[in-house]
Order: sequence, then C-alpha cells, then structure tokens
Amino acid sequence: MGAVNYAAAALPVAETTAAAHHATYKAFAQPGAWWSGADRLALVRETRAAPDCPLCKAKAEALSPDAVQGEHTAYSAETPPVAVEAVHGIRNDSGRLSRRWFDNLMDMGLQAEAYVELASVVASSVVVDTFAQGVGLELPELPPPALGAPTFEASADVVDGGAWVPIAREGHANILRSLGLVPTASTLFFGAFGTSYFMRPNARFAIGRRQVELVASKVSAVNECFY
Amino acid sequence: MVTGRSEGDGGVPHGAFLLDLAGAVARWQWDAVAELREEGKARLGAQETSDAILVAAGFNGITRVADAIGIRLDARTDAASVDLRPQIGIDAFAPASKWSAAAG
Repeated sequence: MGAVNYAAAALPVAETTAAAHHATYKAFAQPGAWWSGADRLALVRETRAAPDCPLCKAKAEALSPDAVQGEHTAYSAETPPVAVEAVHGIRNDSGRLSRRWFDNLMDMGLQAEAYVELASVVASSVVVDTFAQGVGLELPELPPPALGAPTFEASADVVDGGAWVPIAREGHANILRSLGLVPTASTLFFGAFGTSYFMRPNARFAIGRRQVELVASKVSAVNECFY
Repeated sequence: MVTGRSEGDGGVPHGAFLLDLAGAVARWQWDAVAELREEGKARLGAQETSDAILVAAGFNGITRVADAIGIRLDARTDAASVDLRPQIGIDAFAPASKWSAAAG
C-alpha cells in the first residue's frame, strides 16, 4: 500500500494529519501486543463491515440492546465470535455498552489485554476512516499483513481506576490513561487521534478553540458518550 | 439533507453549520457531508471545513475508547459539573448499568 492519496481529497489535508493517519493504516498491519498483523487487519475490516450487520441494526432500534438476541453477520468466518461481538458493539452502539456486556466478553474467553488492543484498533480505524470519507475519499486500501507474532506485552504500572479494565497509574485525564494496560494500543490510538485535538502545545486549527469544542461536544452527544 | 438544520449556534461563529457538519460526520451520513463540505468551503473556507471534519472524526473514535473501557469522569470534572449535569441531561448517558453488572 502506498501513502493514502490525501491530495485527491475534496478538501485540503494538513501534512501532519496525512502523515499520522498514514502511519496508523500502516500500523494496523503490524503485529501488536495481543493480535497479529493479520488479526488487526481483520478487526479493521470487521469494523468497516459492522454497519451492515442486521442484528446490530435491530439492536439499535430496540429500547435495550439486550432485548434483541441473535448472531452478528461477520465479515469473516475466521474472526472469533467474541471479537465480532466486541467490534460490533464498539463500532455500532458504544453509548450503550455496559459492564455486563464487557463481563460477558470476558466470560467468552477474551482477555482484558486483548480487549484493550481490540478497542484501540477499532477506535483508531473509526478515526482515520471517518476522516478519509469525510474529506471525500474512498475507504483506503489496507496494507498486506506484516509477519510476526504478538509480543504479549502488558503494563504492570496500572491501577483500578473504576473502569472495566485497569488503567495507567499516571496521566492528566482518565481518557489518556484508558488504554494504559497495553501501551502499544495507547500509542496506536493517540497517534491516530493526535491531530484531532489540542494534544500538543503547538496544535493549530484553522477554526477557533470554541468551534473545535462545539464540534467535539456535538459528536460526543451523538455518540451518547458520558465522558 | 438528512439531518435537518440546527437552530442554535451556541454563540459560536458558524455554530449552527458546525453542529450540522459534526452531526453528519458522526453519523457517517456521507451524502449530507458532501453537501456540507461544499457549503463549508463557501462559509468557512476549505481548510476550516477540513479541520472541523478532522475534529469530528477524532471524537468519533475517542468517544468509543471512553465507552469501551468504561472510564469514569475525572474527579476534577466530576466535582465541577455536579450541578450542571442534571440540567443538560448528560447523566442519562451513564446509567447504573454502565458500571454495575447487577444493574444491567
């Protein structure tokens, strides 16, 4: 895969954003801590396919997602059902995820560390794919998977911060600590997200601070995000 | 367009337009976004519209991280917003089942 052709977009794209998002697409194909490169690409493809899942559409229309039972329509039969459930939940109904839903994933055999990395891959793909389509591009082609096994690394420098998984001991805000159980997962996500907000002292936008905050607030409300 | 037009602007320049654009991006309504992109070029400018989409795309991801990990509100924000949250209804996004399996 060559660089995503942001020059073909309907709107200008800052070089820093193009570089960060291109790096994210490349990173999907690399072995992670708990998933291989092929696994991570499968998670991205599952994320892209999730909006067409009939079960998710029925759940979205129900008062409670638990009121509708059935099987998700997966992009690939090779993706474990527990991963499909996690991807579809995070992609399609994140505002109504619950502790019971998460516990059920753990009961199905998903490890917390693998879940954290999965959440990072899904959310990162949402960032870069949403932006690409938002500026008028087709969904970028994904690179071929890099060979190699997951490292099975996790951080011991975590605490129970009241979240569903341990979070990093240190950090200015809980969101910055959220993926701390798997540091490479945190790096992946905040690499994708970094140019979307005031993450660095030299961050600059062509719109003003209040306009940035208004857009951010609207998206949070649409997604029914408490945080 | 699909979303209809926002009536308020939050006291922010081009606020109503930005709310429409952010809502369409967050809901992946690409036909509406295509229309708003053109409107944005004329209203705000091309780079300004691109940056608004960049922010919306980022928050479409980070809200999923927050909800997927089940993080709590930061203590400082929690304390500062205790009176405001009931007024704007945001507590409805955090029912007891968010953190309590028994309540789910």
